[in-house]
Amino acid sequence: MRRSNNRTETISCDDSPTTPPVAAQETAFEKQRGISRVETRVGFCQVYVGQLSQPLSVHRLAVLRAIASSGISIDFLKLTPSGLSFVVPEGLRTTLVDVLQGLGVQHSTRPDRTIIMVHAVNMRDEEGLIAEIVESAIASGAQIDHIGDGHDHLLLVLSSEHAPQIAAHFEQTLMGGVWRQKRLTKSA
Amino acid sequence: MRIKVMKFGGTSVATAEARLASAMRVIQAKEQGFRPVVVVSAIGRRGAPYATDTLIGVLKEIDPSVDPDPRELDLLIACGEIMSSVIFAHLLKTLGHSAQAFRGGQAGIRTDGVYGNARIVGINPVSLVKALEQGNIVVVCGFQGVYVAGDGAPGGELTTLGRGGSDTTASALGAALKAEAVEIYTDVDGVKTADPDAVPAAPTLRRVTYDEVAEIAHLGASVVHPRAAEIAMQYDIPLWVKNTFSDDPGTVIVKREDHPGRRVTGVTHTGKLVYVQFDLSVAAQEDRIGLESRIYQTMAKYGVNLFMLNLNPSSTGFAVPRTQYPMVRDVLDGLVIPLGEERRVYLFQIGTASREVETQATLLEPFGTVRRVKAELTEGCTMVSLVGHDYMQQPGLFLNVLTTLMDGQVPVLQTSDSDYSLSVLVPEAETNRAVRLLHDRFQLEAAS
Repeated sequence: MRRSNNRTETISCDDSPTTPPVAAQETAFEKQRGISRVETRVGFCQVYVGQLSQPLSVHRLAVLRAIASSGISIDFLKLTPSGLSFVVPEGLRTTLVDVLQGLGVQHSTRPDRTIIMVHAVNMRDEEGLIAEIVESAIASGAQIDHIGDGHDHLLLVLSSEHAPQIAAHFEQTLMGGVWRQKRLTKSA
Repeated sequence: MRIKVMKFGGTSVATAEARLASAMRVIQAKEQGFRPVVVVSAIGRRGAPYATDTLIGVLKEIDPSVDPDPRELDLLIACGEIMSSVIFAHLLKTLGHSAQAFRGGQAGIRTDGVYGNARIVGINPVSLVKALEQGNIVVVCGFQGVYVAGDGAPGGELTTLGRGGSDTTASALGAALKAEAVEIYTDVDGVKTADPDAVPAAPTLRRVTYDEVAEIAHLGASVVHPRAAEIAMQYDIPLWVKNTFSDDPGTVIVKREDHPGRRVTGVTHTGKLVYVQFDLSVAAQEDRIGLESRIYQTMAKYGVNLFMLNLNPSSTGFAVPRTQYPMVRDVLDGLVIPLGEERRVYLFQIGTASREVETQATLLEPFGTVRRVKAELTEGCTMVSLVGHDYMQQPGLFLNVLTTLMDGQVPVLQTSDSDYSLSVLVPEAETNRAVRLLHDRFQLEAAS
């Protein structure tokens, strides 16, 4: 679903002329440390389903069953204290709302969400990098709805209004030679 | 010159019998017309006399409260591979084959200057090529290189490559020497669909993609390190995982386009985790960003490895490895954060209130209301993940996973997903059962 027709924009890492020689040579064998690329995927909707009856696990499954039956793929499922939340493509919002209304469950939606995909190779091996990206995103002032991670990327769901600002913020603080030099200096 | 790089992990060099079995693999490759380049790990795993963990333990025994200097720590832990390479080269000589051992620096492996987690920036294999041309089998220490500072410091500084370092050495040498193949030898037949401890009949996958193997490693299984896989992918070198002690053909790791299709690859699990959930409902709306920011800033500062991140309007949470949890508690429990123009005071409490937290609260009383940000702990949990290839966007996948676990009476504490995987947090005691249930549900016993 995330690779569907939603528009994708990419900001590539472009080292400034001040990049130190060590960092510039790294790509000879291994990918550079830190963020190499920031991608944005627009056209998503955040959905909250709450105040489900007990037993919660049974009612959560009932909601998921109804959604699956309508052929909708969801992402970023999180279990919340009274229900669940997830993300769907914006184009499926009306269908989804119909499904939820049919079930009679309390729900709300946040339209116009963007997924920012932050590419950073071997994030687990760069101690604290995941926390650093999340902290950087939060500190920029945007409200982050969800976070997910893969071996080479971190996914953040947030309002489309804030997405360009966050992407630029990552570019300034975590991409390129400045960040890598900081890490090399820290070690030395 | 047909070169094959063969890397032998700790268990493949741990005993005289294991070393002989490994040496016979090398000799077999030579007899097949290859010029073998051998990469060795330190002898044995945790607890063995010359294993990396044992060597670190020697320093820790002196004073556990003093962290060793990273530069000197690298000098120490590199000894395990140096010993291993010399012993292996000597063994080959006793078997009638000329061999020569090389340290990482002698093999021409240059790294950046990050001690303990260095990355390879270049390789000049001239000395290896010369030794090969002279008919030697070369035996290179895995896991290490040399950092030559910008000012050309004499000799350079010995560095180690961090987790998966020997795999990375093997792949990088394969690239530098334009090897026909890189073979990673271990004590299992290849990449399995699940941990054999959880699913004894888990089959060996014959082909997996670099992305699949990297995601499996990211989510807790130790097969081939993603760094090694990436280098092999970048330089288009076939990367194999094989068993030193069996003739199973093993697993070959290939490019995405060489193994297309929609599939579930396997079920993996992490080690022991602690889930920490911060209740931010006590915070003024305008202070939430400040509090969340401080939490993650602290985790970044102390290099905490976060799993299953969760942010929502009234709370934030994540799982951390149990080994890192004491540090998380140390740095956050009792932390006092004043925020806003009115200097609203927040006091962090991790789990039940410690004496330190109560003392802090008492001391802060004269300064006005103290709002406690309480973190609820779920100890003893594990993340079980379904890894797939072009599979995670299937409608009903979450439903399928949750129903399977619920029917099996396995409680699910939280979920997360990415383009390659879907994970659930479950009680540690249920790990193997959760893995088995998902393995059965997705019919992985028939995978190949």
